[in-house]
Amino acid sequence: MRSKASSLTLVVFVFILSLLLVPDFYAEELDLFGYFEPQFIFIYREGESYQMNSDKLRVDLKRSVGGVEFGSDLIYTLYYGKKNWNILDFFSDEIRSEVPAGMQSYFLFSFNDTLYLDNTYVKMSNSRVSCTFGKQQFSPGTGYFSNPVDVFNSKDALDPTYEQTGHNGARMDIMFSSRTNLMFLYSPIEGDWTNSGKLLRFKIGLSHFDFTLSGYEFREQLTDFYSLSVINQRRRLVGCEFVGQLFGLGVWGEGAYNFLEESDDFYEFLVGTDYTFESGFYFLLEYHRNERGRTSYQDYDINDWLRFYLGENKTISRDQMYGMVSYPITDLINLQILSIFCINDGSAAIVPVIDYNIFENVDLNIMGNIYTGSEGKVYNSKLGNGVVIRARVYF
Amino acid sequence: MLRKYLFVLVLIMCLESVAEDGEVKITAEDIIRTMTETLNPKQSDALMEMTIMTSSNQERTFVYKAYSKNKGEKSLMKYLEPGRVKGQTVLMLNNADDIWMYFPRTNRVRKLATHAKRQKVQGSDFSYEDMGSSDEFIDDYSSILIGEEQKNEKLCYKLELTKKENSGAGYSRLVMWVEKETYVPYVISYYHEKDSNLLEKELFLSDVEIIDDIPTPMKMVMYNRLDNTKTSMSTKEVAYDVDLPDNLFTEMGMKK
Repeated sequence: MRSKASSLTLVVFVFILSLLLVPDFYAEELDLFGYFEPQFIFIYREGESYQMNSDKLRVDLKRSVGGVEFGSDLIYTLYYGKKNWNILDFFSDEIRSEVPAGMQSYFLFSFNDTLYLDNTYVKMSNSRVSCTFGKQQFSPGTGYFSNPVDVFNSKDALDPTYEQTGHNGARMDIMFSSRTNLMFLYSPIEGDWTNSGKLLRFKIGLSHFDFTLSGYEFREQLTDFYSLSVINQRRRLVGCEFVGQLFGLGVWGEGAYNFLEESDDFYEFLVGTDYTFESGFYFLLEYHRNERGRTSYQDYDINDWLRFYLGENKTISRDQMYGMVSYPITDLINLQILSIFCINDGSAAIVPVIDYNIFENVDLNIMGNIYTGSEGKVYNSKLGNGVVIRARVYF
Repeated sequence: MLRKYLFVLVLIMCLESVAEDGEVKITAEDIIRTMTETLNPKQSDALMEMTIMTSSNQERTFVYKAYSKNKGEKSLMKYLEPGRVKGQTVLMLNNADDIWMYFPRTNRVRKLATHAKRQKVQGSDFSYEDMGSSDEFIDDYSSILIGEEQKNEKLCYKLELTKKENSGAGYSRLVMWVEKETYVPYVISYYHEKDSNLLEKELFLSDVEIIDDIPTPMKMVMYNRLDNTKTSMSTKEVAYDVDLPDNLFTEMGMKK
């Protein structure tokens, strides 16, 4: 049986298509844009080198009629190179030994070519109220590397600004004043009203600060990889965020307390600061604590690793520091160094990045990644060091 | 709009006549205030084109809509071209003391701290401070009138502005030539924050047209003398006699 979420996507998509197919609708220009993104990944691990590459095409359609906006984008990705992996190969021998030989095949995975609707929505708005229905972008939180209040997306801290896929929902934004608004989101994940996601966010601007309070209820799926069973439980989240400036520094933070139906409640928070010097040199620093993470690397088990990779938990360890420095070498080339440090086990990942706007509508992005930790730690060298070369051609 | 123009005109006439009588000299503050009034009409709705010439002689062109309200206290820039920045929007409130950026691909709004005003706008020679702060010449600098000089065949007031002690301005001092007739600054020289003798940038305004009774420089060129780059900005369309709603200058307005 098709879920409510996918039905909503389909209904919105068919609605948009039918409107686009009405001849009169073409009387005004349809906005068609997107990008083509070839990506080459070279990985060197344990004396072997691998390539895993992809070609991604994103096509966006957008059309506005009065106060109604229709938007949709389609993503087609082709993978080539080494597409088949066993996730256990990246884990320590100790973790691997926890998995019975007969179950090892469960951990094989492949990068298969994909074609999907990333976002497809209808948005209706007037001067104070905006309603959006369908698959849409939603990414709350003020953090750069991670967002404790965001239960929709799982950011890759090594590439935190990469776009995320859309989420199904019906969203309403009400603006009370220029810097005060209320947002309600209903996300029909599955089943009925009780089990679906419901989010309420209230945002207010005071002086040079923005503050947000949020409450969220949804059903969380947590996999137990030892028994290959799923814990399906209700999760309620109460969160707050702020962003502003203090003594000339940019400051922000967000925190969430999570009430769980079956597991232990937990909290998560992140605080950060940034500054731009006259020369254009920029730094950013964030501290992130996730009570669900482990305090000692000797306690990491297969559930911790796999829940992290599947986005069920944001981190493996409890405390991490994120840092970024960037400097515009020329008008078209920007150099960045990202660093992620796991406080609990002392391992780190260092990611040097070069962004080059090579032509008017062509960006070239070269990212390296170096893991410093020993086997068993979060950022261990067994994960493989590598380089990602990504070009993006916009049209 | 007419009322605003008349106010500026009357102010200019008063200033001139008093100076001619020789009783009260026009002050630098008067000139800066009138110039700020002229450059920051009550409201504006413009289509702009910005072209960056890099040190390696490559060009990058951006087209954006620029809206401003309350004499530049609120401003919003929405990029239309090129495709890689299409839909990105910058909202500046309180004379660019509060800046938000909207990224359409992630539907995310990010608030930037004041220090971000120093960042270049899309790699250009204009910073957010140059683009969005309407009252910076009054609030952040103290000014003196050096004299009158011919500049670009126009008779101009020559002024020197020095950064106030507690100001967050990104330059130590400015020297500007303001045309006596229109109160449009024809040249502004920006000196480095740390070295008041080091010329960092020079801004040239030209092609002044009267639109909706307001003298409007249709072309601006900023030269970065340290990086050897330049950015030109031309006004493709502009209207001052418009009624921009307040909700345009909000998070919801950024997303429209």
